[in-house]
Amino acid sequence: MLNNVVIIPTGDELHEGIVLDTDSPMIMQEIIKLNGRSNILRSQPVYDKEDKIIECIKNHADGKADLIIIIGGSGGGHRYSKTLGKDYTHSSLDLILEEKHSSEVYGKNGHMWSKLICGKINETLVINVPGPYDEARATIKAFCSAYKIHSDNLKEINCSMMEALMEQYGSRETDNIF
Amino acid sequence: MEDNKIIVQVDKTVIKITGLNIKGLNLQEVEKVIFNKLKSVVRIIGVTGNSIEMDVYGIEEKDILKDQRGIIKAISLADGITLSDLAQISSVKKIKGFDIQHIPEYNGGCRGERWM
Repeated sequence: MLNNVVIIPTGDELHEGIVLDTDSPMIMQEIIKLNGRSNILRSQPVYDKEDKIIECIKNHADGKADLIIIIGGSGGGHRYSKTLGKDYTHSSLDLILEEKHSSEVYGKNGHMWSKLICGKINETLVINVPGPYDEARATIKAFCSAYKIHSDNLKEINCSMMEALMEQYGSRETDNIF
Repeated sequence: MEDNKIIVQVDKTVIKITGLNIKGLNLQEVEKVIFNKLKSVVRIIGVTGNSIEMDVYGIEEKDILKDQRGIIKAISLADGITLSDLAQISSVKKIKGFDIQHIPEYNGGCRGERWM
């Protein structure tokens, strides 16, 4: 059961108060629907820096969180355009998760829109969701539904989340190329 | 570790507006304001204290450029944004497609880097 859940929003713009964090309350609501007895902690926003994100995840994993949800930083971001925000969530998760499954979605210009990862560090389940509200809502709802059925199957959870994300892009043609 | 990779075929234009003062912005509200103006889906992809960058789906560059002042005026309706005298659309770029059959092998990061 997910009794202790930590939500970690990421982004310099959130940390500086330039943008409001509307994702965390929505995610909290979805987790409460899943388990009304959960203790849910919303961490202060973390700067988009790999070492800061990793430190924050490790601290909460050591504190025996059952689930850590990282918000934002899931795209190609600065790697594609220097003017875009820095997206380091997926690369941070790649570095620290022991067992994991991931899915990536690319636009037709080759820009990575989003990489979703579902994995474990010790006994803590760790997932990420995209920053845009609609995509975050779709993926966390998919997580909650998948978790009820496949709580130990990282691949099923990850694929369910990616399917929900793809639905946000409507009926636009997709190619599974690899 | 297993990894799925998916390509989405969609036309979008990237718009950057500079010369803004931004604090406490609700991105959903901005997306709604611009959606009402352009009648097209919008995703905010980058915000700083003085600029905002967004993807707009299904609209050509020339249509954006035709109504620059209208777009800037619309965005100023959102709470958390005030316009400076220098407010302008500083860039409008339609994304270019690429041939998915000829993607060089690459481990990690963003494939778009190779087209920079």
